Amino acid sequence: MVSTTFAAVLPDRLPWYFAGPALGLLVVGFFVIANQPLGATGAYVETYKTVTRAPGAVSWRMFYFLGIPIGGLVGVLLKEDGIVRRAGYDALRNELSLGTTAIIVLVGAVVMGYGARMAGGCTSGHGICGTAQRSPASWVATCTFMGAAVLTTLVIRVISGGAI
Amino acid sequence: MKPSTAHKVFGLLFGAGFGFVLAAANLHEYDTIHKMLRLEEFDVFLLMGGAIGTSLPLLWWLERRRTRTVLGGPLLLSRSKPRREHVIGGALFGIGWAVSGTCPAPALVMLVSGAGLAAVTIIGLFVGLNLRDAQVRRADGAATAADGEHRDIVRVP
Repeated sequence: MVSTTFAAVLPDRLPWYFAGPALGLLVVGFFVIANQPLGATGAYVETYKTVTRAPGAVSWRMFYFLGIPIGGLVGVLLKEDGIVRRAGYDALRNELSLGTTAIIVLVGAVVMGYGARMAGGCTSGHGICGTAQRSPASWVATCTFMGAAVLTTLVIRVISGGAI
Repeated sequence: MKPSTAHKVFGLLFGAGFGFVLAAANLHEYDTIHKMLRLEEFDVFLLMGGAIGTSLPLLWWLERRRTRTVLGGPLLLSRSKPRREHVIGGALFGIGWAVSGTCPAPALVMLVSGAGLAAVTIIGLFVGLNLRDAQVRRADGAATAADGEHRDIVRVP
């Protein structure tokens, strides 16, 4: 396993009572500065439009899109484990081949992207920014996707005999 | 600084802040999300609650004060009525999220943390988003009202 790290400055996992309010303050800060929600689905959409030079693309969203992995990289490098080259999806990989895992993950991601676009937001957009704006549509979408995700996980658990 | 440049700079900074917190809280790890959705750990639910609990009252207060934003004029929060797209789209998103174990923003952090399969997730997300966009275009309809995402009130080129 190849691992790259600067220094173990950050704990393995920042507790929720720091990370949650920190995310909340980022959301508020972006509203105060740009009057915009900090949602990831919109960033994917506008990044795609900007790259393909589609009309009406909001190109600054691409900078937001690029900022996420840059900040994430800094966070990862400040942890003890650092960057660890791996396939990922250990729980799936323990039971399935790499190819099967990739197909399942791909199908899941397509459904996730389609659903996020249809609902008009994802975990960050509806789940945090929309709920914080007290939008009824966002509360409905958030409760629906949380419930659907927990139920689906339960179904996968039953089908896999508790393995996944 | 031109407004469009300022949006790009702040977009990059806030994206980086967001990505940093996701990495710090380990939300880019499939294991974290999987354990949450298996209801074995409640940290992520508490994290989301903490984020909403911080931002909701602050935004409410700022809205009541009629705050002017730095780049986008008077603070404008959007609130839509739920439609069937929010329910069906939300359900599909939840199903896909449970299978792929990471949502759109953490997938980007997962990739840079060294997990190669995250590239498959990101490609799949782009495909899914475009499938829906193409469908909406064919039906000549408008995208779903989205209080979390794009908003046209302050469009900056």
